[in-house]
This record gives sequence, C-alpha cells and structure tokens, in this order.
Amino acid sequence: MNDLIRQAIAAEADERVDSRTVLANLHKARKAKPFGMIIGVATLTVAAAAAAVVIPTTIKKTEAAPPANAPVSGAQNVLLIGTDDDRRADAIVLARFETDGSASIISLPRDIHAGTGQDRLSGLFKDDPRKLTAAVEDLTGTKVDHYAAVAMSEFGRVATAVGGIEVCLNNYVMDEYSGAHFMAGKNTLVGEQALQFLRQRHGLPEGDLDRVKRQQAFLTSFAAKITKDKAPELLQLLERSIEYDEGWDLLQFASRFQGPVKVRSATLPIGEEVQRDGIQVYAPDPDQSKRFVEDQFGGGGPTETGCVN
Amino acid sequence: MGFDQFVADRLDRLLGYATAITCDKHLAQDIVQNVLLRAQGKWERIGAMDAPYLYVKRMVTNDYLSWRHRKAAREIAVERGELVRHAPAMADPADAHAEREAMRARIAVLPRKQRAALVLRFYEDCSDAEIAQVLGCTESTVRSQLSRALQTLRTHELARSATLGVHS
Repeated sequence: MNDLIRQAIAAEADERVDSRTVLANLHKARKAKPFGMIIGVATLTVAAAAAAVVIPTTIKKTEAAPPANAPVSGAQNVLLIGTDDDRRADAIVLARFETDGSASIISLPRDIHAGTGQDRLSGLFKDDPRKLTAAVEDLTGTKVDHYAAVAMSEFGRVATAVGGIEVCLNNYVMDEYSGAHFMAGKNTLVGEQALQFLRQRHGLPEGDLDRVKRQQAFLTSFAAKITKDKAPELLQLLERSIEYDEGWDLLQFASRFQGPVKVRSATLPIGEEVQRDGIQVYAPDPDQSKRFVEDQFGGGGPTETGCVN
Repeated sequence: MGFDQFVADRLDRLLGYATAITCDKHLAQDIVQNVLLRAQGKWERIGAMDAPYLYVKRMVTNDYLSWRHRKAAREIAVERGELVRHAPAMADPADAHAEREAMRARIAVLPRKQRAALVLRFYEDCSDAEIAQVLGCTESTVRSQLSRALQTLRTHELARSATLGVHS
C-alpha cells in the first residue's frame, strides 16, 4: 500500500501551479508593497479607539469658536472597530466616554460566537455594521450609541507621528509570523514595530487574548500621548481610513476632551471554547457579560495595566 | 545561500509539497507566496541556518495548519469526500490510474496534520525527527499521526476491495 500512497501523493503534488507564475508574483509584490501581502493581517483595537479620540480632539481644535456653551451630553458608548485588509473586524472594543473625557474600554474577543452557524463577532461588521452593534448590545446589555472603524494598517505611521509608543513586555519575544522581535521590559515602538507588536498572536501563552491585552496597552499609551500639537497630523493620517455612523455629531462629542485621554481597560471574560458548525468559537455568556460591563463602566472591576506578554 | 538562489532551487518543490498537503493548488500557491514574502524579510537569519528549506517548509506547514485556513481545508475535504463516495462504483480495480486516484481522494479527506505527516514521509522522505521539527511536535506524536493515517487508509482500502470483490 505504501507505493500506492507514494504515487497518490506525487499525483497530487503534480497538480501544482507553474512556479514561473509564483516567481512573477513574488517580483511584483516585492516592488509594490512588501508588507501588504502578509497574511493574517491582524488589526488593532487601537486604531479604532484612537480614531474616536483623535478626530474629536482635532475638530475641536480647528473650530474657531470655542464650544464654551456647547452642551456636553452624558456619557456615550462607542463601539470601536479595527479592520483588516478584508474589512473583517479583528479588534473590537466597547468604549464608554465620560463627560470629563476619560474613557473606559472593554475588549471583546473577536472569536465570540454570534448569531447562527459560523458567525463570529469578527465577521459581522463586513456584512453590516449594524449587525455587529446589535450583537454587542445583545451580548452586553449595553446600548451602543455610535461606532467608528479604522483600517489597522495605518497604525505604524500613527506610532511614528507621536514619537513612538511605549509598551512594556514581560518576556523577550521573537516571532517569525508577525516579525515581532522585542526585548523584555520597556520598548518604544515606531513604524512597522507597532504593527508587529499588535499583530503577533503566535507564540504567546494566551494567543489572541494576549494580543487583545497588547492592543489595550498600546491604546492606553497612545491616548496619553495625544496632544493638540500632534492632533492635526494624526487626523490627516487617519481621516481617509475612518468610517463612522452617519448620525454621530462629532463636534458635540468632541467637547468633552480637554487633553490627553485617560483610559481604563479590561477584557470581556469569555465563555467556553466550543465547536459551532465545525469551527472553534467562544460561547457567548450574556449574563456574565452584562454584569462585567456594568461593573467596568460603573468604575469598578479589574483594570489591566503594566507589562504584557 | 541568497534568497533568490533559494527560490530558484526550491520553489517548484515547495509548491509540490504545499499542493500535496493542501490538496488545492490555489491555496498552496497563496500559502507559498505569502510565506516566501515573509521569509524574504528575515532571510539574513533563515539563510544562515543549517537547513533553510526545512525551516521554510515548517512555515508553509504551520500556515496551512493554522486556524486561518480551517474553513478552506474543510471545504476541500467535503469536495473530495464526494469523490471518495463515488470512487468504488466507478473504479476498475485493474486500472492502476483509478486505483491511484481513489487513494488520492482518501488521503485528501484525512485530518490536516495526519496528511502533512504522510506527505513529509512519502513525498519529502523525511525522518521522524525531521517531521517532528516541521510539525512542531514530538517524534512519538509523529509516529502516532502516521500510524493513524495508515490505519484509516488501510481500512478504506479493505472496504473498497470488498465492495469490488477483489483482494489487494
């Protein structure tokens, strides 16, 4: 039987595409954008979160008249989404912006099962942003007032624009997939390093969940670096890749921000890992989720700070 | 060895390997292209290794076994599964070609990791130790993956022979 197996596998291998085609593609990709084709282009929570923070800050600054009398409406819940090259939501964050400009964010692991069949949170946005906001409302029992989405690929440039983002790592890491290569302890990320830091999923003790924590660390550090001087440049970098719901009055929203933004972050506890229709997902746990969100937005609950994996 | 030289020497073989483990030439092409682009970015390190080809093969294999391609892999398996079902009725046992095609279809529906181990053994002629390195597991896991794969193929082979009323 072994000979038969050998022949069968060789026959399968013979189906391969012409290597000249691949060679030509490699040359093309090398010339065009070496980074663009990397698969598993993960995205960051951060991009979306930053967008929601940066844009209003900027708009406020560029307005001639100070919004002295502009009423600051109450706290608002905003769903921040970081999208990959395929418009999948890879990073999903539910943020509550208080009237004093501080923010509390909760990362929602993208592989939580939602809806039917193989749907996960990550896939709903591409379909229709409202499907994602509805699923989040169901899961957390919290009304989503607005959403903003950003292509994560912009974030290398953003990190550079603010003079680097400081993060702290528990361990030395080197990962071939993302290209991440960092020392233990404090690292200042610029350019592509930011993307590598945010994309790494392989080789981390908790995989995607560690990545979520990295996104939070990055966001917190980034938010603290936003100043009025830097805002115009950041806006310019991000404005083309931001998408938000039509009914959102950003000017009014903006009036709550007076300077660098303080962020408290946490990750939604996940249910069990289960199989749905043949794929691995996290079972949603609405009761626990609701309690957690209530606690966190109410000022209690755990906060993740310090070094990350 | 420089990156360009590596690609010139190994690209065709790598495509053959990737096609054999994925059972889909387009998926194989995507994976190989992406892996080579990543490998190029750190060729200084990979090129200096004892066995760059083994390392790149590991990247290809990991990529295929990753969560990302789970859906594609399942669809391919379903498609091939249909072929397996139809194979006994159509195949003429005396026809070596039909025999081989039937085996090909059965290999295509094995679990991904088992198939990767099988291809590494029978197409790449790797030792247990080398397979363990590529799959990132222990040698004893390699042996159990291989023996399970062979067991499955053997059972199917027997069942098929019985259906056709022949002995193989």
